[in-house]
Amino acid sequence: MLEVKNLSHVYMPGTPFQVEALKEISLKIEKGEFVGIIGETGSGKSTLVQHLNGLLRPTSGDVLLDGCSIWSGKVNMRAIRSRVALLFQYPEHQLFEETVYKDVAFGPRNLGLDEKELQKRVRYGLEQMELDYESYKDRSPFSLSGGEKRRVAMAGILAMKPEVIILDEPTAGLDPAGRRQLLALIEKLHSEEKLTVIMVTHNMDEVSRLANRLFVFSAGRLVLQGEPAVVFNSPQKIKEIGLELPVLSELLLKLKDSGKNIRTDLFTVEEVGKEILEYFRGGRSCKV
Amino acid sequence: MQSITLGHYLPGDSFLHNLDPRIKLLCLLVLIVTLFLVRTFWGFMFFGVFIILIFSASKLPWRYFLRGLRPVFFIIFFTLILHFLFTDGGRVYLRLGPLTVEEAGVFMGTFMTLRLVLLVITTLLITLTTSPISFADGIEYILRPFRRLGIPGHEIAMMMTIALRFIPTLMEESDKIRKAQMARGADFETGNIFRRARNLVPLLVPLFVSAFRRADELAIAMEARCYRGGENRTKMRELHTRPRDYLGLSVSLGMMLAILFSGV
Repeated sequence: MLEVKNLSHVYMPGTPFQVEALKEISLKIEKGEFVGIIGETGSGKSTLVQHLNGLLRPTSGDVLLDGCSIWSGKVNMRAIRSRVALLFQYPEHQLFEETVYKDVAFGPRNLGLDEKELQKRVRYGLEQMELDYESYKDRSPFSLSGGEKRRVAMAGILAMKPEVIILDEPTAGLDPAGRRQLLALIEKLHSEEKLTVIMVTHNMDEVSRLANRLFVFSAGRLVLQGEPAVVFNSPQKIKEIGLELPVLSELLLKLKDSGKNIRTDLFTVEEVGKEILEYFRGGRSCKV
Repeated sequence: MQSITLGHYLPGDSFLHNLDPRIKLLCLLVLIVTLFLVRTFWGFMFFGVFIILIFSASKLPWRYFLRGLRPVFFIIFFTLILHFLFTDGGRVYLRLGPLTVEEAGVFMGTFMTLRLVLLVITTLLITLTTSPISFADGIEYILRPFRRLGIPGHEIAMMMTIALRFIPTLMEESDKIRKAQMARGADFETGNIFRRARNLVPLLVPLFVSAFRRADELAIAMEARCYRGGENRTKMRELHTRPRDYLGLSVSLGMMLAILFSGV
């Protein structure tokens, strides 16, 4: 449903500070996918996602939503941004209203919804983030804990009922419990609410487990793409561009390198545990 | 937002770029005084040629020459108009009802405009070639003799440095918050002035919150490194005056004396 065609972006063209952040990127994201975008800091990931909902205008190339260019002029930008919602890194920094209710309602209000619908949307957003509507709606967002603030900011995006959510490092700076909870909520949005999720992250363990497809960026170019099993099957290349393998893949590859006949395309602790146990119990090396 | 060149500084490598900032500030002072000593159009022409020569020697792109004039365009324009219409004396060139354009007005208008334009360009020449940090350094040195009068030179320079240091950070931050709110359907571009001002609330509140947070963090970080400021504080980059700095200063002083004694 989202397509990027030959997109390049140059920051501050024509000054000594000119930087070519993206070079000739083409990619396609289908409805219902969970896509991970990985790459070093400064590789162009954040620049790319800001193109997907029209916050940045491509220097050349195009972005298509359901086959229509979002820059054709016929399309209402606000409508696009409500369909493709973007949550920046540390989204709690964007909170500004006096109450949680008003802050979550900011997005839907900009869509011109009436008060009754607004209330429904706010309730929906907060409930998706497992925040109790009645007890949170009148509190000041500035009095909440870090994790709660982040979930309120996320609720503000969900209240616009988007089809695609783009999350830029959603778990950065959260404690392990907060991280686990937020990831579970995102997973639920994908599986139950059928949202298309695009997640930018540095955490290979999270993304390999959650995403069904990965895009790997390096120095403004799209260098690798495919299922996690395919991408992390080229460990040499991944390390070359300054990234790490998921811990579990690292373990499986080490075992394989030491001569064990073991699968390396597994990304959850359960699967990997099962595979290793099976290998050592069953003595599968005999099968070969 | 990214197109704003901050403090106008353009990194480069030229005689002017490499001049000691203290000397550069002194030169600027001398040249400004010189501009106010000029009495004839010949003087301005002489000065103008001098500035153009320096400008081309500093290898700056020419479009910055004109771009620098843009913010003061209205002041220049009004100076010209007001002098044309309200300074009386000499022959009358044009009558517009009760208003007249007279010889003295045209003379004064053009004269003042030239002075303003040259003033802006001279200042621009210095700010374009001096990094904000060395600028603050230069100011600290120049204010040093005034410490006895209770002027805290170091503190002023430190405040300038910190303020300058945080301009890009805050710009980046405001850009990010602006985009974050735009992603939620906020609109910063349309509507009348009151509407627009109200629409800025979602931008300004988070910006202030983060500015205070940063100020707090910075204060703690400085405290943690035992920052005391002022007395006996050494510098990481010592400023050294070299022969070419004296050359620069002599040229500026020469310019002033030439204008002063030739009477142009």
